[in-house]
Amino acid sequence: MEMKGWRLAEREWREWLEALARAGKRIIAPVKEDGLVLFRPVASAAEIALADYENSRWSAKEFLFPRTEPLFAYRFQGDEVSLEEARPDGTEQVLFGLRPCDAAGLRQLDHIFLGEEEDPLYAQRRKLTTVVSLACDKSQPECFCTAVGGSPGGMGGSDLQLISLGNEWLLRAVTQKGETLASAAASRWTPASDKDWGKAEEQRLAVEQGLERNPVPAEWAQLLERSFDHPVWEGIGRRCLSCGICAYVCPSCSCFDMNDEGNAWCGVRCRSWDSCTFAQFTRHASGHNPRPTQASRYRQRVLHKFAYFPLQHQERSMCVGCGRCLKLCPVGMDISRSVQRAVSAATSKEGVSEQS
Amino acid sequence: MQQLSEQGKAAEKGWEPRIVALVCNWCTYAGADMAGTTRRIYAPNVRLVRLLCTGRVDPLFITKTFEHGADGVVVSGCHPGDCHYVQGNLLARRRLSLFRALMDFLGLDNRRLHFAWVSASEGIKWSKVVDEVTAAVREAGPLTGWGKAAITNSSRPLLFPDPAEEPRPAPSPEENESITAHLRKSAASLLSAGELSVVIGYGAGSLPGQMVPAFVTNPEEASLLAWNERCANNLTVYLPQAVKRRGKGKVGVVVKSCDAKAVVGLLRENQITRDEVSLLGVPCAGLWENGRLAPKCHACPEEVSSLVDWTITPDGAKQGVATSGKERAVAADPRDGAIAFLESLSAEERWDYWQRQFSRCLRCYACQAVCTLCYCATCIWERHRPQWIPTTNDGKGNTAWNVTRAMHLAGRCVGCDECARVCPANIRLDLLNRRLSQELERKFQYRSDIDPGAAPPLTTFRPDDPDEFL
Repeated sequence: MEMKGWRLAEREWREWLEALARAGKRIIAPVKEDGLVLFRPVASAAEIALADYENSRWSAKEFLFPRTEPLFAYRFQGDEVSLEEARPDGTEQVLFGLRPCDAAGLRQLDHIFLGEEEDPLYAQRRKLTTVVSLACDKSQPECFCTAVGGSPGGMGGSDLQLISLGNEWLLRAVTQKGETLASAAASRWTPASDKDWGKAEEQRLAVEQGLERNPVPAEWAQLLERSFDHPVWEGIGRRCLSCGICAYVCPSCSCFDMNDEGNAWCGVRCRSWDSCTFAQFTRHASGHNPRPTQASRYRQRVLHKFAYFPLQHQERSMCVGCGRCLKLCPVGMDISRSVQRAVSAATSKEGVSEQS
Repeated sequence: MQQLSEQGKAAEKGWEPRIVALVCNWCTYAGADMAGTTRRIYAPNVRLVRLLCTGRVDPLFITKTFEHGADGVVVSGCHPGDCHYVQGNLLARRRLSLFRALMDFLGLDNRRLHFAWVSASEGIKWSKVVDEVTAAVREAGPLTGWGKAAITNSSRPLLFPDPAEEPRPAPSPEENESITAHLRKSAASLLSAGELSVVIGYGAGSLPGQMVPAFVTNPEEASLLAWNERCANNLTVYLPQAVKRRGKGKVGVVVKSCDAKAVVGLLRENQITRDEVSLLGVPCAGLWENGRLAPKCHACPEEVSSLVDWTITPDGAKQGVATSGKERAVAADPRDGAIAFLESLSAEERWDYWQRQFSRCLRCYACQAVCTLCYCATCIWERHRPQWIPTTNDGKGNTAWNVTRAMHLAGRCVGCDECARVCPANIRLDLLNRRLSQELERKFQYRSDIDPGAAPPLTTFRPDDPDEFL
């Protein structure tokens, strides 16, 4: 396959983004806020903060799957009920600077929201979104993308990818959509040479070398599914406090809850993020909870990522290995370790240790 | 500026203040009735909500009222001594005085929040109260910023004062190692003797330098335990569950002096009994994160809590409290500096600051999950009949959650700051909690972390409680 790309100076891609913003596109990029790196819409490319940028505190999924969004508004007039559908604004957006793990996370969201039943709100936003990912030039201790089939230079979910080559940058077109976005400025850019591609490849390999976590083979999905009743889960989930950090910072978690916010006359039905680690997530109206313990809820999270989703969608895993959940977990739950531990317990005949 | 221009616009359109009065059935409601029957003329801006007693006024009623678009709230009940239920109004006085302090810290214009005593015979006073409140709210203008953060990427972050120099250095690795060795030995022997059924301590996490909770039930596994200055978790959060699941032995838990204070709360609120737990105190020189001493540790005077059953010193485990005898260097509490800084700003600046913080809140409820004193089986955010805290992850829902969380911990929080440590959005929850603790100490001379026998401050009152806000 022929690779299409350009070698640019930082000034050039910043100018390109500036021009896109002027043309009415919403540019969403990493910025610094109160000591945090977050994705936010920027008014100018100058706000983009890439100095010491490792990764954002949470993923950029909220720009396709918002934390809270109205589905429709309702209003009672006498005996009549009128409904008004939500109309997301039709602005085209560019998600700039996502790490390849987060871009891969969007592909997982696509499975959920565009798979069997298409979610119109997500679909519309997805259509209006172009993803410009940023290849990693170093790894963090929590990273494990390569263990789940990703790569520091992975292109899944990206339309374009920007790769730092020291003083210069390589912009790679991954999809037709990406090429179209670059087309307005591309005529002024220098096409990338074989040497540039070589350098990018070298860098990817170097970063991959630094990632040490053991791979999670695809065959483990079945093994994990069968481990459902294994007592090891009790020990694995013992520390978990049932908060929702892991799900909310995750680039591939997609669960939501729906609720009416309003009064007796009018209101809005909203869907908001939800997390399988909350006790309330599966609590029935009767009070019965099929996942009554923290351990059973944590098991659900692990198995959904590494067993149910891969089996259903023929993917390696739902987890993309960004490592946010294990870095931010108040009690240091480590999802990749949990998987390894469940698999080794399920395959060994000996007793299981209480420890994780 | 934006707020001002909106005020201007509203004034042009003939905006009228919308005020909700939460009044008691026996005094103020009757007083308002009296105002009507005696044909008093007064401002028509107040809508009454009749409650049996002002003691029933939960701060949630007030946040809900603002959420639904009120510009001001007035709470009014019987005069002290006149309460139909003897003391409901006096309990309300404490609760509302605290709530007002919190809202002031958050930057809500205090012209929007009023309290009054109006008796059944005071129709004239009621009409005056309404006129005054209406004038004050009119002056404050429409409340447009509730749950709305003015976020722009260019908005300048507040420059908090630099934290002071660390008053003491981090402990030496040798010291940590010898404490670790004695901790393992004691845990193993207490477990094998059957005195303890589990030891909840710290062990190495999977990231470099990370320390995480570890549960040890077999003496052979005691080698998983360790101690150093990165052992951040307050492990007492596991106690209420652990005592229910324990076998014959007690639940052993490794505690720093700040963690042990949370046990005072659990005892006071009857969540555990003292003979179910054994506190293994470690001499703590402070918690270090990213090369800096944690804010809560600067002023901490206690190496070991006076509550502990065992002290694991570098020279061995000792029954009861044992300190090194070395003089402990302390400095001013940086949290107090940050609070004073925020209070030096205008209310509008404070409001913008906190709304920006709350707008980031992911509603992951980690603040609640890590809190030892948040032991309720069902938290207020999980209650949905009625849905007091909106489920929506937006300014309104997030403001309601953060205000309510802080209020529910008032007089109970012991300042371990776990909530602030784990918050993925870096919201300074520690400052909210501490501001309320300061208020309780100043107004009611109450500290939550000392006496398990002391009545919680919001369940009691004194006839001479300050009521300058009335």
